[in-house]
Amino acid sequence: MKKQIPNLAGTIFLILLLAFPLVYSRGDYDYIMHIMITGFFYAILAASWSMLSGYAGQFSFGHMGFMAIGAYTTGLFCHYIYILPQPTELCSEMSFFGQYLVIVNPIGVTSTTLTQDCLRQALDAWDGSVEVTPMPVLLGVVLGTVMGGIAGFLVGMLVLRLRAAYLALFTLGFSEILKATISAEINITRGQAGLELPPLYPEGITLLGNYYGPTAKLPPYYTMLGLLLICLLILTWLARSKFGLFVRALREDQDAAAALGVNTIRYKVLVFTITCSMAAAAGAVQGHYVQIITPNMLFLLQMSLVVAMAVIGGIENFVAAAIGAIILQVVLELLRTSFVIGGVEVDMTIWRLVIFGMLLMITLRFFRNGLIAPVIAYFGRSDVAEETVAKRKVNVQETGS
Amino acid sequence: MIHLKVTNLHKRFGGNHVLRGVNFEVNGPELIGLIGPNGAGKTTLTNVLDGAVKPTSGTVYLGEERIDQLQPYQVARAGLGRTFQVTRSFRRMTVLENLYVPALAMGNLASSAEMKEKAMDVLEFLTIDHLRNEFAQALSGGQQKLLELGRLLMLNPDVVILDEPFAGVHPRLMEVIYSYIKRVNEAGSAIIIISHQMDSIFSLSKRLLVLNFGDLIADGPPDEVKNDPKVIEAYLGSDDEEDAA
Repeated sequence: MKKQIPNLAGTIFLILLLAFPLVYSRGDYDYIMHIMITGFFYAILAASWSMLSGYAGQFSFGHMGFMAIGAYTTGLFCHYIYILPQPTELCSEMSFFGQYLVIVNPIGVTSTTLTQDCLRQALDAWDGSVEVTPMPVLLGVVLGTVMGGIAGFLVGMLVLRLRAAYLALFTLGFSEILKATISAEINITRGQAGLELPPLYPEGITLLGNYYGPTAKLPPYYTMLGLLLICLLILTWLARSKFGLFVRALREDQDAAAALGVNTIRYKVLVFTITCSMAAAAGAVQGHYVQIITPNMLFLLQMSLVVAMAVIGGIENFVAAAIGAIILQVVLELLRTSFVIGGVEVDMTIWRLVIFGMLLMITLRFFRNGLIAPVIAYFGRSDVAEETVAKRKVNVQETGS
Repeated sequence: MIHLKVTNLHKRFGGNHVLRGVNFEVNGPELIGLIGPNGAGKTTLTNVLDGAVKPTSGTVYLGEERIDQLQPYQVARAGLGRTFQVTRSFRRMTVLENLYVPALAMGNLASSAEMKEKAMDVLEFLTIDHLRNEFAQALSGGQQKLLELGRLLMLNPDVVILDEPFAGVHPRLMEVIYSYIKRVNEAGSAIIIISHQMDSIFSLSKRLLVLNFGDLIADGPPDEVKNDPKVIEAYLGSDDEEDAA
């Protein structure tokens, strides 16, 4: 029974998350929902990073880079590619199942009243008589996920011989190069001005008979929660398979694992590919949810936040890392409310980060495997010590020694 | 029929010529001791044999397969397993999980039930079955040594290299290791034991290989090797050296 407590608690937590948008009805509904959606986003990043760094021991600082690859892939895809029933004669275009696939020319950051891209020029000429079909958001998200996986595969191949600090620095370098490239390629990515994305559900969506518009919070809430659950299910399946066993062996001792027949190269590359594609999927969905992406999402502070969330939750347990991320995201937001003590205003927008930093330091000093993972382990492994002692007693009785 | 053939094996680390044309063969389930003073090249030879270090020149064949250019995991799958001088258990994995790693990597067991049954058999034989669900880091040094040996039983290689299996082990656990070596050998695997514990290695081995400064200076039955002047000189030093001192 004691062993089932984490599963029971997890199920209750999940039911609460599923029911929350339906039962919560206060005036700050949109704000709270936004916090939760962002919490799920960070939970995917923390959980996948936990698999990469906590399970497989590949301490990467490039996770936000892969997230950005997912976001920018779908962003660029939806921003530049359209389907039209007739050619514009201005854009790059090709015949596509009786229609025309149009690739809009990049014009960078400029006023649309002065410079228009080829599609806008054509639309002006047609005076609204031609219908433009944008790319499906779902296809963009899938493409973003695949691109993140491909990038993860390539980085995984490049870091095969790197360990510990060298690996961390390499991946940090990768992320910084990506940020610089996105910032520099203003013509295509719009740099710091940001790239606008269509909403997750551009036409809105009807759920259980209720229509939700493109900016409604409930559909993205369930979308991000669904993505988180899918990621956790995949990670759980992987952790319980030989993949999980091998990547943990990789973390413990790469040479010993290889000497026992484990193809360490394959599993190192695989774990990068899988976890990076998860980060990319989260980035793609988040991009469509917030509808604008900038290179600032690649700031080192953002990566540090993901690492801290995983560390506080429990780096060697991706479920704990995910729960840690959700709780921390909520707590950090709730702590924003400033208050007055004895006439002195305490600016919590700053102090909350101090509290967060202290929590991280205390966790690292006293709880090396986080605050949640040891609780799960306490219940999950509650019978191990008793079993060891009981079996030992039997052995002693049998051998008489 | 097991056949390990090492031919003219050289290994240089910069200017340090660690292995100097080592030649030997293992035919069948032999029980071989590999000895030599510190710095003789024993561990380097082991690392070259298991693929962790590539030789500068020379070849290693296991049966018909050339293994000196293979990756360590390929060498393990080809049938050569090893332990390490300093025990390298997967510390934050349970004892059973430690045993599952080679079994799953080899994929030679039909089902997970069969794998668990074999793992439990191994643990019972090594007298650490009561610790099966404990993390390896909870085990004593000697028990971790047994666990490392257990992983090799799950790997079931044709050639087993045991690097210092008796170092720092309690006499009672030593008996378990002796019976382990006999069991593995009787099951048909060739065993190469590297050790500085001469009593153990002379009593167990049927053949001794002696390395000194990268040269294989002796290869033969223990009684013969014991009295070989080159071996005595390697361990005790020559009269000339004493005179010079």
